[in-house]
Amino acid sequence: MASKQQTVASFVETAPPGELSNVVADIKALAPSEAQALAPAYKKYNEEQYITVKLPDGNGTAILSPYNSLDNNRYFDTATETSFEVDHASQKTSNPQPHALETPHADLLRNLHKALTTTSSEHFPTSSHTITPTNTDPSTLTILLVATKFSPQNFWNARWRSTYTYNPSTTTLAGSVKVDVHYYEDGNVRMNTRKEFASREVSGGAEAVGREIAKLENKFQEDLNRGFGVLGEGCFKSLRRQLPVTRQRMEWEKFQGYRLGQDIGGGRAK
Amino acid sequence: MADPFDAALDLLRRLPPSKTQQNLNGIISLRPDLEEDLLSAVDVALAVKRCSKTGRDYLCCDYNRDGNSYRSPWSNAFEPPIDPDDAADLIPGGRVRRMEENLNTAVDVYRELYYEGGTSSAYLWALDDGFAGVVLFKKSTNASASAGKGGWDSIHVFEVNEAAGKRSAHYRLTSTVILDLGLSSQSVDNLDLAGNLTRQTQADLSCGFRDSEVELQHVVNIGRTVEDMETRMRNMLQEVYFGKAKDVVGDLRSIQPLSEAEKDRAAHRDVLEKMQR
Repeated sequence: MASKQQTVASFVETAPPGELSNVVADIKALAPSEAQALAPAYKKYNEEQYITVKLPDGNGTAILSPYNSLDNNRYFDTATETSFEVDHASQKTSNPQPHALETPHADLLRNLHKALTTTSSEHFPTSSHTITPTNTDPSTLTILLVATKFSPQNFWNARWRSTYTYNPSTTTLAGSVKVDVHYYEDGNVRMNTRKEFASREVSGGAEAVGREIAKLENKFQEDLNRGFGVLGEGCFKSLRRQLPVTRQRMEWEKFQGYRLGQDIGGGRAK
Repeated sequence: MADPFDAALDLLRRLPPSKTQQNLNGIISLRPDLEEDLLSAVDVALAVKRCSKTGRDYLCCDYNRDGNSYRSPWSNAFEPPIDPDDAADLIPGGRVRRMEENLNTAVDVYRELYYEGGTSSAYLWALDDGFAGVVLFKKSTNASASAGKGGWDSIHVFEVNEAAGKRSAHYRLTSTVILDLGLSSQSVDNLDLAGNLTRQTQADLSCGFRDSEVELQHVVNIGRTVEDMETRMRNMLQEVYFGKAKDVVGDLRSIQPLSEAEKDRAAHRDVLEKMQR
């Protein structure tokens, strides 16, 4: 059995895109004392969801993730070559400091950033991305992209996250995409999907990597749209028919007679 | 500060619907004082039990529950048995039980017509100026991982206020459908679409002219109201699960390059302007 603290932490960690503040307000109303000790859960949420924050100098935005995290709630941004501190509850930043790129692939990193700017602007109306030396394996680079669309007035919110690792020595790319959609008008409907891309060779440098990512994601999105079709045409239809086989609504007045005929449901046995 | 009960309902409307049962248990562990209110207000996927007297399956919800026992609509007995004093209060008899038996027969026909399988149950209880009840359906499908698997639970709670003389009645219905769909294939590792929608309706309906007709007419009126609502909700679910979700993903990311989409729009505007000249 989870402790009360674990319970409220799990609420934060599974909050839908764009609704963290609503979830936190509910937790405060239900469990005020546990709500005071949510710092680790906020940190986990912000890093897992690739939350974008405004840089302290008003110098643009940066993505929070496990890949660009330093000690003491500090993160670095390779585009501006600064590090900064984050208050995970408010998602506010402070204490900027210069942070030099510590990678033999600094030029490649900058070129990948440009390439991603080009391809992402062709497919995402709004998005953020960052390229960062992978902290677990500094010989590789991690590419992160996050796009969100919040429409609470229409009761839906959504987030797209892409994560890739590029290995410059083998010129291989691997990664994954996750999409999370929440719709909650008189209900609660959630779509979650993910796709892993196995490692593949991409020759042609940063621009080719950008093009390969766009190609992989286009294919995924087409497959996802087909997946909606498969579920809608197959699974959903076999749960409840739109009309009985007879194409007529039930004649409720005759409910006692239907049984005698034994021919309901197209004559199939139960 | 918000009312804790409202906060609990808001939270369950936001957190993953696939985990509603688990989150409900979590909220109750935080606030045991809300347990009874939450159990009657929150719909969760229905459990199936087999009636030991008749061998038929029935569905369990808060309305046929007493402690850990559930009443079978087929035998009208709680399993495991409950205290006889409680049973006298909780087991319907007379007119209400007659209508309950007929309603179960009728929704069983409906279930076979629309679900071609699955399980159904109906429960009624008396009110001061009428009666109330719930009609339940459950169906699961598990064709294959690549064709998708799914579960449908529908919960129709209604209240019937009978006018003096019982020639007509006011019917109020609150319906919830819990629909859980999943797909796992080579092209999409994992696609989960889970959730619930709730809608309400009400109507004044005639109950016939002779006393002997009234009981059966209630069953007909309830059945038809449930059929209308469920058919409407099925269309809404189709729209939200397969239309809305797809559109929202398309709003996040466009397969067609946005510069091409902009050119198409400009060309379209051009054509329209020329036509208007």
